Amino acid sequence: MRRTIAIGSAVLLMLTLGWRSPGQAQTKDDTIVYALQSDVDTWDPPNSVLREAIILGYQVFDHLAVRDLKTRKVIPNLATSWKTLDDTTWEVKLRQGVKFHDGSPFTAKDVKASFERVLDPAKKMTARGNHAKIKGVDIVDDHTVRFRTDGPYPLFVERMTALVMHSEKVLREKPHEWVQENPVGTGPYKLVRWNRKQEHLLVRNDDYWGAKPYFKHVRIRIIPEQATQIAELISGGVDVIKAVPPDQMDVIEKSGQARTATSPILRTAMLQLDQAARGGPNPFTDKRVRQAANLAVDADAIIKHVLNGLGDRTATAVNPMAFGWDPNLKPYKQDVARAKKLLAEAGYPNGLDITFNTGPPVVEPAIQQTNDAIVADMAKAGFRVRQNYIGDNTVLVARIKEGKGGPMFNWSWGYYSVFDADAILYDVFKCGEPYSYYCNKELDDMIHAGRSTLDQKKRAEVYVKAQKLLFDDAAYLYKWGLRGVWGISNRIEYQAPADEVDRMFLATPRKK
Amino acid sequence: MKYYVLRQLIQLAVVVLGISMLVFAILHVIGDPVLLLLPQNAGKEEYERYHKLLGLDKPIHVQYWKFASRAVQGDFGKSWYTDTPAFKLVLERMPPTLYLTTAGLVMALLIALPLGILAALKRHSFIDNACTMLAVAGQAMPIFWLGIMLIIIFAVRLKALPASGYGTWEHFLMPAFTLGAFLAPITMRLVRSGVIEILNMEYIRTARAKGFAEPTVIVKHAFRNACIPVITVLGLQFGQLLGGAIVTETVFAWPGVATLTVDSIRNQDFPVVQCAVVLLALIIVVVNFIVDMVVGLLDPRIRLGA
Repeated sequence: MRRTIAIGSAVLLMLTLGWRSPGQAQTKDDTIVYALQSDVDTWDPPNSVLREAIILGYQVFDHLAVRDLKTRKVIPNLATSWKTLDDTTWEVKLRQGVKFHDGSPFTAKDVKASFERVLDPAKKMTARGNHAKIKGVDIVDDHTVRFRTDGPYPLFVERMTALVMHSEKVLREKPHEWVQENPVGTGPYKLVRWNRKQEHLLVRNDDYWGAKPYFKHVRIRIIPEQATQIAELISGGVDVIKAVPPDQMDVIEKSGQARTATSPILRTAMLQLDQAARGGPNPFTDKRVRQAANLAVDADAIIKHVLNGLGDRTATAVNPMAFGWDPNLKPYKQDVARAKKLLAEAGYPNGLDITFNTGPPVVEPAIQQTNDAIVADMAKAGFRVRQNYIGDNTVLVARIKEGKGGPMFNWSWGYYSVFDADAILYDVFKCGEPYSYYCNKELDDMIHAGRSTLDQKKRAEVYVKAQKLLFDDAAYLYKWGLRGVWGISNRIEYQAPADEVDRMFLATPRKK
Repeated sequence: MKYYVLRQLIQLAVVVLGISMLVFAILHVIGDPVLLLLPQNAGKEEYERYHKLLGLDKPIHVQYWKFASRAVQGDFGKSWYTDTPAFKLVLERMPPTLYLTTAGLVMALLIALPLGILAALKRHSFIDNACTMLAVAGQAMPIFWLGIMLIIIFAVRLKALPASGYGTWEHFLMPAFTLGAFLAPITMRLVRSGVIEILNMEYIRTARAKGFAEPTVIVKHAFRNACIPVITVLGLQFGQLLGGAIVTETVFAWPGVATLTVDSIRNQDFPVVQCAVVLLALIIVVVNFIVDMVVGLLDPRIRLGA
């Protein structure tokens, strides 16, 4: 009786809900498999804040400009050239003969529609803030557009890599909901199907205007558990995984099936100190205490021993890959005696108690281990640090945004993938910004000066001065630039991307 | 019997209603979803606009009424995160979880029934002790550890099964076994004690005295009665099984509703969480209803004594 019920209901379930069998059209040799830890919320990149959405966007859409992975410079893509006509006008020439996946040609009106959609406040696109300096887009002819900007906009070229080009026809004819699930781009791959939180299947766009991808199919699988990702990689089920923890690199290297690759990425880690007193009075409002914290920590040793060398020490939070970085500014070196002396001068001869809000390793590898090392170093100078672990990163971030992160907390910044000092100084150091716990009028003026001219030489000079100020004032406890670790199957050639955007269309089979 | 069914049905409705209220209340206590939804550089104005847009500015009982009156029509609202109907999202992910839990249940029975009966028949023997040890080991083993061990052995070393994913029968084996191993120990022990107890009953002695062969006695007379507590417990354990499914789904990248629920709680995506919890509660309650019916059929004392 019971068995009949069990079998009967199982059969019934399968019949009513439908049994989906996976497509068998593609073979292993013409398919590359890429794993993500979590799925995207939408196939409309400007409507998402997720890194995964940017990555998927790159496979199916094109941008006006892209970053060359070798030189890290911005190079033409759908735009063939650009120039300024005056301080607030950019003219961009567009590539000819490019077609969308639905066969319609790519022209100036698609550029105008794509930008106007993002800029329209009523559309509530999450990417709007990144392009808000653009006031309007004018069509000159089919393959020339002009951008009017609100004041000089030095980041214009960088930001051309950050918006996908939609088809004007699709945006006009299809409802918003349709666009969320059906990307129509000009990119190297087309979306075949999307099984939410399970996998995406892409097929090569054989009419692609640029170099055609080697692999006919891309499967993007969602595998939440890191151990499973690694098991898939070394058993041949997946070809590329990202964010491999440093302690697992050996497992991959020794498998004979796969290897690891690292690349510096545009993300700087630091401990923010509540200089601005957003959470009320605290010891870090005193410059000497902040300096003492920086002097107490031996960051070089932590990078070497805890991170296996996977970090690049920075003098401030400005990343070596960002425009404006000052190579001549040397980072703090550990000097416990001086740290103690500074603390005594600040009125803490017997040390002081500090609460440290820490988070999980979502973007920063081995964050718990490095935190422990930092706390131990700080103890030597007299900081008695109590770690307060907040296991959910979104909760930590929300708390920080509300001004409740202080007096000291884990922070890292990915620059929204804009390789420019402004992309961190404005968000993380300017008075009154939601993620800034530092406030200094002098610095604010420099930030403003840096974004108000198109003269790159002048801008670089401003940023050198800003970094000197941030270093001398020990705004935060500075750590290092992060390095990403990828796991790559030995059957393919693939370059780890510095901008954290995986490009499956650049993968090729490995030469035997 | 009619009253019995009716009473169970009323209970069912009350439980589902209670759970929907509870979920609603808890979600509103744990934090402000708007802070998580908005991009990092959004201002206060934007915040208040969203607050209003999502109806969070209304008193909670008004919000609940709006939710409940739509929910009975299958409209749980749109996911705040993905902008798709929550009901569609949850329904899409329901089959994989139901397949997995059903397969886990079947796997647990395949392990527990023969071993439990064997242990009961060979009480205090080597076999019985071995079964006890197996049960203790199974109970003590964390699901995620077992799952990863299976992956390492069968996918990485032997390359016999796919490490993770969903779609073919091969994808089923490891997750179902993992989940089955989680449920099997308690079931096995229950079968054992049930069979032992019943074998001492007088009607078994009668059956034997009548000259029935031992297998007939066991299967026809003893087993049926030993089943009653097992079925009851399996019904109760079904909720546990869904809990186990969260870990199993995560380890094996199984696209089920359990991981969807956990993700949505993390994102404070109220509509999806509410929809998933209410539907899952409904399933658990229905399973228990079926169990009660089956037990009632098997044991007249229950339906008549009531």
